[in-house]
Amino acid sequence: MREEEAYQDLAALFAAEDRKMDPKPFVAGVMGKVRRRTLRRKLVIFGVGTVGAAVAALQVPKLFGEWITVDNTIVSAISTAQQQAGMQAGLLSTTNPLWIGIAAMVVFSLAAVATMERA
Amino acid sequence: MRTDPDLAAEAARGSETAFAELVRRHQARVRGMARRLTGSEAGGDDIAQMTFLTAWQKIGTYRGGTFSAWICTICWREFLQVRRRTRPEIEFDETAEIIPFERPSDAQDDKMDLTRALEQLSEAQRVCVVMCVAAGLSHREAAEATGWPLGTVKSHVLRGVEALRKHLAKPEVA
Repeated sequence: MREEEAYQDLAALFAAEDRKMDPKPFVAGVMGKVRRRTLRRKLVIFGVGTVGAAVAALQVPKLFGEWITVDNTIVSAISTAQQQAGMQAGLLSTTNPLWIGIAAMVVFSLAAVATMERA
Repeated sequence: MRTDPDLAAEAARGSETAFAELVRRHQARVRGMARRLTGSEAGGDDIAQMTFLTAWQKIGTYRGGTFSAWICTICWREFLQVRRRTRPEIEFDETAEIIPFERPSDAQDDKMDLTRALEQLSEAQRVCVVMCVAAGLSHREAAEATGWPLGTVKSHVLRGVEALRKHLAKPEVA
């Protein structure tokens, strides 16, 4: 006989006591906290990621500038966008389509990562 | 019906529905364990909630085996953390004699026989009885969860069950 079987009667008493507990409020409470934590995590990842991507994007012209074989139009376009961002942040998106494309890709990637990310 | 490992795998991929099902399945076991370890319903439910939140964060580390043993191990660790914060003066000792719960005296009257009998055990016996008898872990699983030698766990369960039966058989308790 297994040792555990020696106290089946007591185990049944404990189990009967446990069955009296109402699971619904507890499960709802736990899952509410899980969802809040997940949302908070996604917001933090998205926020930090966006800032990081913005900082990285600002370094692109410098990086490409030292790379002679890269098409100069990309470098000049980003540099122009950078300057415009400093002067006319509100008009940026309408004046440089390449910048819009880069920003869209960054936002799309970050959104995908943040959405797939689990707590 | 999906098995616990299947649900855990889904939860690890981000399924909150699968995790909610795991919580629903195991909440009684974990709450019961936490309540009996702390001797308090509210305190026990707080620990049980922390247990499931930790489980959600670490669900990716679950590598099969009995899910109940995995979740009860987390519950035991959460209990120890709370215990260290609230009663740092009493170091846990599996050889220690009776350490009563700290509770207001007027709560005693409402206690059920089983819980009252459980309170009469030494803390180590109570832990082993709660894990093996109430939560349904095997002796080996309880030994792995607590880090105590298997022989020690077996001995505490044996003596604890014996004492529990004795207390339950008393006319003023039973």
